[in-house]
Amino acid sequence: MNNYYDVIVIGGGPAGLAAAIQAKKDGAEVLLIERESRLGGILKQCIHDGFGLVRFEEKLSGPEYAERFIDEFNSLSIKSLTLTFVTKIEKKADGFDVHIVNRKGTAEYRCNALVLATGCRERTAKQVFIHGTRPSGVFTAGTAQHFTNLLGELPAKKCVILGSGDIGLIMARRLTLEGCRVLGVYEAKPTPSGLTRNIHQCLNDYEIPLYLSHTVTRVFGDERLEAVEISQVDEQMRPVEGTQKRVECDALILSVGLIPENELAENLGVSIDPRTKGPICDEKLMTSVDGVFSCGNALHVNDLVDYVSESGETAGAAAAAYKKTQRNTVGLERGEGIMSLVPQMIDLSGSAEPVTVYFRSAAVLNNCLLKITVDGVEKFRKKYAFLRPPEMERLVVDFSSFGINKKSKIIFETEVTGQ
Amino acid sequence: MLSLNKVGQLTDSNKKAGDFVNIAKIQKKVAAVSGGKVKAELSDGCVVLSGKADSWEEAIKVCGAAATPYSKIHVVNDIAVNNLDEKPMRMPAVHDSAIDGERPDVLIIGGGISGASIARELSKYKLNILLVEKEPDLAMQASGRNDGEVHPGIDLSKGSLKHYYIRKGNKMYGDVCRELGVEFKRVGQYVCFNEAWAKPIIALYVLKRKYIDKIEDSEIISGKELHRREPNFNGSFKFAISNPSTGCVCPYGLTIAYAENAVMNGAKVMLNTAVTGMCVENSRIISVTTNRGTVFPRIVINAAGVFSEEIAKMACDRFFSIHPRRGTNSILDKKAGKYMHSVASIKELAASDGHTKGGGILHTVHGNLLIGPDAVETSEKENVATNPESIEKVFSRQKNTMPVLSERDIITYFTGVRAPTFEEDFIIEKGRKCENIIHCAGIQSPGLTTAPAVALDVEKMAVEMLGGAEKNPGFNPVRKPIPALRNMTDEERARLIAENPDYGEIVCRCEEISKGEILDALNSPVCVPTVDGVKKRVRPGMGRCQGGFCSPLVTKIIAEFLNKPLEAVRKNYDGSVIVYGSTKKGEAADE
Amino acid sequence: MKQIVCTVCPNGCALKVERDGEEIKVSGNKCKRGENFAVSELIKPMRTICSTVKTNRADIPVVPVRVSSEIPKEKIFAVMNEINSVTVSAPLKRGDTVIENVLGLGVDVIATSGILSAGKGGETI
Repeated sequence: MNNYYDVIVIGGGPAGLAAAIQAKKDGAEVLLIERESRLGGILKQCIHDGFGLVRFEEKLSGPEYAERFIDEFNSLSIKSLTLTFVTKIEKKADGFDVHIVNRKGTAEYRCNALVLATGCRERTAKQVFIHGTRPSGVFTAGTAQHFTNLLGELPAKKCVILGSGDIGLIMARRLTLEGCRVLGVYEAKPTPSGLTRNIHQCLNDYEIPLYLSHTVTRVFGDERLEAVEISQVDEQMRPVEGTQKRVECDALILSVGLIPENELAENLGVSIDPRTKGPICDEKLMTSVDGVFSCGNALHVNDLVDYVSESGETAGAAAAAYKKTQRNTVGLERGEGIMSLVPQMIDLSGSAEPVTVYFRSAAVLNNCLLKITVDGVEKFRKKYAFLRPPEMERLVVDFSSFGINKKSKIIFETEVTGQ
Repeated sequence: MLSLNKVGQLTDSNKKAGDFVNIAKIQKKVAAVSGGKVKAELSDGCVVLSGKADSWEEAIKVCGAAATPYSKIHVVNDIAVNNLDEKPMRMPAVHDSAIDGERPDVLIIGGGISGASIARELSKYKLNILLVEKEPDLAMQASGRNDGEVHPGIDLSKGSLKHYYIRKGNKMYGDVCRELGVEFKRVGQYVCFNEAWAKPIIALYVLKRKYIDKIEDSEIISGKELHRREPNFNGSFKFAISNPSTGCVCPYGLTIAYAENAVMNGAKVMLNTAVTGMCVENSRIISVTTNRGTVFPRIVINAAGVFSEEIAKMACDRFFSIHPRRGTNSILDKKAGKYMHSVASIKELAASDGHTKGGGILHTVHGNLLIGPDAVETSEKENVATNPESIEKVFSRQKNTMPVLSERDIITYFTGVRAPTFEEDFIIEKGRKCENIIHCAGIQSPGLTTAPAVALDVEKMAVEMLGGAEKNPGFNPVRKPIPALRNMTDEERARLIAENPDYGEIVCRCEEISKGEILDALNSPVCVPTVDGVKKRVRPGMGRCQGGFCSPLVTKIIAEFLNKPLEAVRKNYDGSVIVYGSTKKGEAADE
Repeated sequence: MKQIVCTVCPNGCALKVERDGEEIKVSGNKCKRGENFAVSELIKPMRTICSTVKTNRADIPVVPVRVSSEIPKEKIFAVMNEINSVTVSAPLKRGDTVIENVLGLGVDVIATSGILSAGKGGETI
């Protein structure tokens, strides 16, 4: 039947595009399924520049970065379905049945390997326990960005931004440029979450104040938002009673975290890492379910799109090459100072090529070491001038010389060396 | 009409045992509780309290002390509370003459479950029915802000109207929901106990329920059986009362369905229409003024929820008082829905906390879990803002029922305001002084369960008050629901998409809602072209992303449907602007 | 003396810039790029901006644009004004000039997406 593909990629953002392109280049017949009408994913609305510094050594805007991949995707004549929604995936003995729905009806496609590049969603106001009324004017940064950058509509005239992650900072600048007054960016943590460059160019340039250790605890207004209540927070990030103050504004823009979208993966029985909220994967980005691969922000939230594309390529290549074999995996464990680690395991039966590892530190560390120990013996170390939790670190490790076997205890940990 | 003899006994033919009050005893109690600041008088068949209180809580305490549970001799609260910041009722923005001069046979005030169900039952007759609702949609207050439990009546004793209607209402649910195309599931309820010693006492209690109060399906099940049915419940439970007749329904979905069926059968629903006054002559309402004109109804039905006392007052028929009581529920992700499949609560025998109840856990028809509600007295009838304490309190209590519950699974929360009287029973009766009004007031839990049965009785009262009514030969009790494609097989879906490709375009990915379903909601009998209106009817934005992805798309679909720019679309109220217009002016036209 | 944070690379060095007559002294930098950055920040800070321009199509109301290279920081809002006053139409390709030599700054405003000229892309089933 012509409904068979070697690889089906779900999601047409940067991860899915890279996965599909790589799989196709490696000789696989590929189908990419995208729920929106256009490929490109969230990059379509990320019109600011700064994408692709690692890969292209250029400062591209989101659409430019995405369209370079889309051009390549089209030139390879990869098959795709847009405005198409995956309703169900069934695991069969010899692959996966992907059920879809679109304006033409319903259909079922069979594949040997599956790449889930389903991206992430934003945490909402109620998920960070903001109370009060339910007026209009409370937006996640992505929603505000959609209105502003794709629809050309102004969602706010005088707004408060909660969260100093890069998305929050970039929206502060975008809204200012489009005519909105940004009263301030509030951050519950004692340190900013976004890149220093963005603090400087998105806030300082426009004289937008940044308030650390502050959060929004309440919203007011029965119809449109009228004001927010700001509270100081203590070290545990709990609001301090008596510090509340009311700030009049017509919009609250939330940049309070991203959550990988893995509902399809979970329905397939894929194990999820509670730290990354993405699938537990081996070095080929194969999940706990054979033949199911994960990449991009569905795997873990990235801060550089270049790494998203890289993980897509890894997953795409592995999916194209996938043949059912017995894996012989050993876990990579988080030790002191490591918040998250991807991959979470390596397959000893696979090729002994160097492995790309992504990690985040649990705290701000200056002048420190990353160490890898195997059964208590240090096998690898790398010096870092600083490690910050908001910044994902990428590292290539050659495990082949570490003398690892199935029973090895492999630990990633940090050590502060001091000045 | 009712009157009272000297001991305060109702001398109406409908009087029941217990319909008398000892005013001297009440006066003593009121004096003691209020420290002499409030006095009680028996006046016109009511216990009228007047005087001063320092706080709303204090006034409520005094009224509560004066009230006789389930009595028809109601407490009327005229206590002046010092420094009470009383806000006027929120008025719709619109002012026009849309209904000016209309002469409906029946004017129903209130578009909650009571008003909507009554409108539908009365649409069986050839009557001119007008339902007015001050909010921009139906079920905007208590009817849309509760957990949707169809109660079994386990906590109600014979003698109250609640008890009278709950068994009838509960039994009607299957048929009513089938007719109206509303999802309803009898999921069963468990009241769980930790104390093995209490089992014989509770067993006796259940027997009383069964044979005296006629709550027939209640039974005691063992802890082992409970855990077989609901493995995630706390392992320490020793036994539970099981009430298999308990069900769940989408409360606003049912309200909207009732109203839509009424409209299909000829009733008229006017949203954004608030009653502001009445002209009463010779104990009859002559006209009713609204922000959209004055109407001249033959009879009026008061289903105004927390404002039913104000409506009664306008009709010169105020014989009860409402004391608003807030309740907050959390909604959990559908992922948590797999933890349990019924309705559950924990009964802690040591704790006796009256109305400050800790709610329960309920698996909704849509597959989410609801945790709550709590109960907090308030003077603010329309304040539905949530507070962190409500969530924390209820959550910590419900974790005892099901330890696997986590605040992390909360996707949103909401507060509703109940409208109880101090007697804590319903008022379903014709006016006592006004001859052409029927009150459907004091409706609180289990008002959703009882609504189908209450509506049938109000229908009878209304027809009688009108001096009879001809049947509506075209009455069709069946409402076809908007198809829920997510619940269909691929084949069924494909068939619908072939007819209308919009059913194949998914707009809300969390809840899997298509553009076709959204357009169906916009083309439904009671069109509410707002983001919340669409959300309530077909659920885009109800999922875990809470509209993060789909709200711009839904806004755009509504704008296209209205043929207006995006800035004309609202979330719900007139002032709930979503966007302020284009960021670009582009080239001037003459360039 | 002025304190600025270097934004050339993610290191984010805290730079101190001092002006001593003609001479500009930079400290706190770990590389030469930091020194150049500090000097230009002090004399003539330059920035890029990204925004959107209006189209004549209802289904794609705006198209993203950016400046082709950096513009003086103080010109940001003047350039925004120009950006807000144009309307584009198909077939506008990615990289096409939307405003040539905006405000005489020697910099163009260019489209960063080809959506107006894109066909239905890869819908190839």
